[in-house]
Amino acid sequence: MIDLVQNMLDGLAIGSAYGLLALGFTLIFGVMRRLNMAFGSSILVGIFAGAWLHGQWAAGMIPIFAATVAGAVVASAYVERMSFAWIRGDAALASMASSFAIWMQLEELVARAFPQRSYAFPTFEALPMLELGPFFLRPEHAAMFLTAAVLVAALHWLLTRTLFGLRVRTLSDSRDAARVSGVDVGRVAVLTFGLAAAIGGVAGFLIAATDGQISTKLGMWATMKGLIAMVIGGLGSLRGALVGGLVLGVVEAQAQWYLGASGREICTFALLFAALILLPQGLVGRKDTLARAEAVRRI
Amino acid sequence: MLEIRDIRTSYGKIAALKGVSLEIREGGLTCLLGPNGAGKTTLIWTIAGILKAQSGSMRLGDDELAGLKPHQIVEKGVVTVPENRLVFPEMTVTENLVAGAFSRRRQKGDVAEDLDAVLDRFPRLRERASQEAGTLSGGEQQMLAVGRALMARPKILLMDEPSTGLAPIIVEEIFEIIGQLRDEGRTIFLVEQNANLALDYADHFYLLEQGHVTFGGDPATVDHDDLIARAYLGARKAS
Repeated sequence: MIDLVQNMLDGLAIGSAYGLLALGFTLIFGVMRRLNMAFGSSILVGIFAGAWLHGQWAAGMIPIFAATVAGAVVASAYVERMSFAWIRGDAALASMASSFAIWMQLEELVARAFPQRSYAFPTFEALPMLELGPFFLRPEHAAMFLTAAVLVAALHWLLTRTLFGLRVRTLSDSRDAARVSGVDVGRVAVLTFGLAAAIGGVAGFLIAATDGQISTKLGMWATMKGLIAMVIGGLGSLRGALVGGLVLGVVEAQAQWYLGASGREICTFALLFAALILLPQGLVGRKDTLARAEAVRRI
Repeated sequence: MLEIRDIRTSYGKIAALKGVSLEIREGGLTCLLGPNGAGKTTLIWTIAGILKAQSGSMRLGDDELAGLKPHQIVEKGVVTVPENRLVFPEMTVTENLVAGAFSRRRQKGDVAEDLDAVLDRFPRLRERASQEAGTLSGGEQQMLAVGRALMARPKILLMDEPSTGLAPIIVEEIFEIIGQLRDEGRTIFLVEQNANLALDYADHFYLLEQGHVTFGGDPATVDHDDLIARAYLGARKAS
């Protein structure tokens, strides 16, 4: 029983990072109605920018954090130009294929620049382990959970209380209606893309700082986790992205404990499979099934 | 007020507008009639900047609209009420209306004032102000789409088939609103299938057939039945 709860805690922490990854995917998908397969590799660029700063000048956590987020945003801006801005809006498949190509390109670039198998990333080791009765909470897990909660609250505020947020929502609700309402679709799309990249950068930083070492596999890993969490939670729903991330995190932590690493992978994909069969709308599906059907049709 | 000259728009290789010229006159209701597939909606989307014209010009006073982006055209005061309403279904009525004022940026108080004016004009929308637009009836959504366009303080309202998919009694109601807007001195460009009703309200009309304007005039001087037969049945009777 204690194991079960302890796993749950660990799972929720890592799950909140998955949730952030899924949020990034969802923001881009909601506004563009297109999948950005290069999302994980943009984060990879950010993480290695942070690691480089760490290795070169033994920089502190804050500059490394800034470099990670900035790297992810810059790489995403490149993806946005190549795979989204210059490809027509109705050619969703072309965007996805193109972003896949950019993914390979970015990953290869990072692999060339950083030829070793893995690099060190600074951790929060100085912080003490938190004790909650019989349970332990790693400080980096607590940081993950808190950061995710704060970011989600801030994002919610941004989307519901500001004019920029209203613009983003009009775009994800109905693109043509947004255009005839005078929304500068291109500008809002670019800003949303940047916002998603920044959120992904934060998630990447938290994950790297928890593991303490990074490799070029992280890009693919982040894309997989984010996509799976998004699909489990429900395509196009921000709340769904978060819930999907948490569920994925908890299931993985339990499976890792009881079944081992290979069992964990089996459970992850079994969960994805079950979600697609039993809850095709996701755990928190959008109310408007028509819009969803249209969104799916356009992929 | 808006002079459209020789506009050509195509979808890939298929030409939809093959050189359309017409004029939307200030302070009146100009109506565009024509059968399905004539290119009426294409013309609206072209004026709105969502479709790009291959050639031709659209002059609003001294401004050339051709080549501008959709949001820039809204900023110039040419605002579309799209076909099938196209409201934001997952946003509240109020949010939908505020979205209509995006092009204005400035003057927060003014937006609140206009919002109030629109809600006064459409009391049914006031009752449902905090409801999601997707839960409204078709007629209410049409009112919302008109209200959203008014929030942009338009110089010209482009209305694309406001009667589509509405019950006849609701269509009457929508046309009363259109008549009211016309009587306030607004400039309206109306595209409509329901020619009978549209001609009752129009000050001027054009007939669009297969991408060409083939006829135009003052509804008072032509036989409506004749015109409608020509527009929708392909009868080539001289009028």
